[in-house]
Amino acid sequence: MRLFLLAVGVMTGLCSCTSVPSPFQEREADIVFALGAREGFKSPMGNSLKPACPALEFLGTSFALTGAHRKVLTELAAEWKQEKPRYLIAGYTPPNFPEDYARSLSERRAQAVRQAMIEKGVEAVNLQTVGFGHDSAPSGPTTGVVVIYKQ
Amino acid sequence: MTGPRILLIALLLIFPSVGLAAPLPSWLKLPFVKKQAPVKLPQRKVRLGEFTGGTGASAKKALVEELTDSREFLITEDQADYVLSGSSVGGRVTGRLVNAEGRLLFERTYASPGLDENLRILSDDIIFEVTGKPGLATSRMVFVSDRSGTKQVYLCDAQGRDVQQVTRHAHGAVSPTLSPDGGAIAYTAYISGFPIVQVLDMGLGWERTVTDTPGSSFGAAFSPDGQRLALVMSFLGNPEIFVTDLNTNTAGCISDTVGAPSSPSWHPDGKQIIFADDRGRGPRLYVAEIPEKDHNEARLYLWRAGYSFCTDPEFSPDGKKVAFTARIGKETAVVIKEYPQGQSIVIQGEGAQHPSWSPNGRYLCYAQHGTLYVHDLRTSQRRAVLTQYGTVSEPRWMR
Repeated sequence: MRLFLLAVGVMTGLCSCTSVPSPFQEREADIVFALGAREGFKSPMGNSLKPACPALEFLGTSFALTGAHRKVLTELAAEWKQEKPRYLIAGYTPPNFPEDYARSLSERRAQAVRQAMIEKGVEAVNLQTVGFGHDSAPSGPTTGVVVIYKQ
Repeated sequence: MTGPRILLIALLLIFPSVGLAAPLPSWLKLPFVKKQAPVKLPQRKVRLGEFTGGTGASAKKALVEELTDSREFLITEDQADYVLSGSSVGGRVTGRLVNAEGRLLFERTYASPGLDENLRILSDDIIFEVTGKPGLATSRMVFVSDRSGTKQVYLCDAQGRDVQQVTRHAHGAVSPTLSPDGGAIAYTAYISGFPIVQVLDMGLGWERTVTDTPGSSFGAAFSPDGQRLALVMSFLGNPEIFVTDLNTNTAGCISDTVGAPSSPSWHPDGKQIIFADDRGRGPRLYVAEIPEKDHNEARLYLWRAGYSFCTDPEFSPDGKKVAFTARIGKETAVVIKEYPQGQSIVIQGEGAQHPSWSPNGRYLCYAQHGTLYVHDLRTSQRRAVLTQYGTVSEPRWMR
């Protein structure tokens, strides 16, 4: 009985402590790295660039990476370590989003992909992002995808 | 409370005679819907007096059209509140406005190249003098159209006439906005395939780059004094709202987000900016206060618009309302809500988006399925001002 009361006391103390994260807390911000210079990067607009991996598809307004995205990025990060190429991460959205929001959402998705690649060991200086929204239509992709182009 | 209410309604359905005999409680009564009376527009009577000079007759004729188009005046011959007279020689126009008591309100000469241009300025001056609000004859709208194959920025007047192509970039230009005096356009150009924000001075004809930062830059909006731009930049590793001073080329971040902020718009006092921000649950509207010099305190708060998907907010010219795009069901709609608090009204559903206020706050322009509409907020009538001109999007009226 004493042991039980002690355990309850310890648990109460821990729960009241601010350092213990609440399960209902909002997700902490990712650590962000400022982008490096864009000089030398080629845009997929007007240039025929090759995608380095299959396009990463996002649903709805989500900009969170899924397990499938991380699997693709892990393989790409392993591939990067051999030649260390530079990548341009470009976000696109379908045309049914309001234009300005589409640009911001596609940029945010590209930044999320960039962050994951940095975490997997790709050097930040080799990664550049751009969010086209649906401004590149009709020649560019017309779905909610992030395409990683090898420079 | 719900249980007794259902029971009472059921009883009334079974025994309607009881319901007729007994007085109904106030919460059960249906709201009495009044038939709306037709809106009476406040119209001032104006009499057009003599217009002397070589081009006087054509000036008078064109001025009647301008003043009738403005819907502010009733052109009459007797018992006028105002009398307008003047002269016109070789395109120059002199206007003289007198009120019913015979007091001279103004007398001005307009010498811009072109009779039509001079008459438009005179018409706006008359409206401003009489109503205290800017006229729309000289106001301009910018929009994006893909009629040339790529998205480019175009300019037109409030009636959808005088359409001019402003940009001719190989990869397109989007997200345009006009300065408050209508003399400059800021837009996002895909020069070399990456988005950069540029300002085009239409008086001088020069174009300059405001930001060419890594990542994306878009959504520029001029401050009410025309000296600053609010825009989205993402060089920090996340899209954020920045305010940049056009004179000093310095920029400060005013948002604090891990999400996707977009479409900033200034309050007419120049001290607040409203923008949409998606922090993972769809875009909501946030208001940020602009920190003043020597004051570090600035607030950033969520403005509850009543919808879970809100973008493209814009303050009305008096700052008492906000128009924005909301998603209702699967379609977008243009909604107006009183600011800071009050009721919200859906102006147009079924795919209408990107609203922008007219300078006098009486009209709203928006794009719907590629067509540009101007909506009269007093009469709730709307007019397609630009149809079959490619797919029109992102219209913005001069503030």
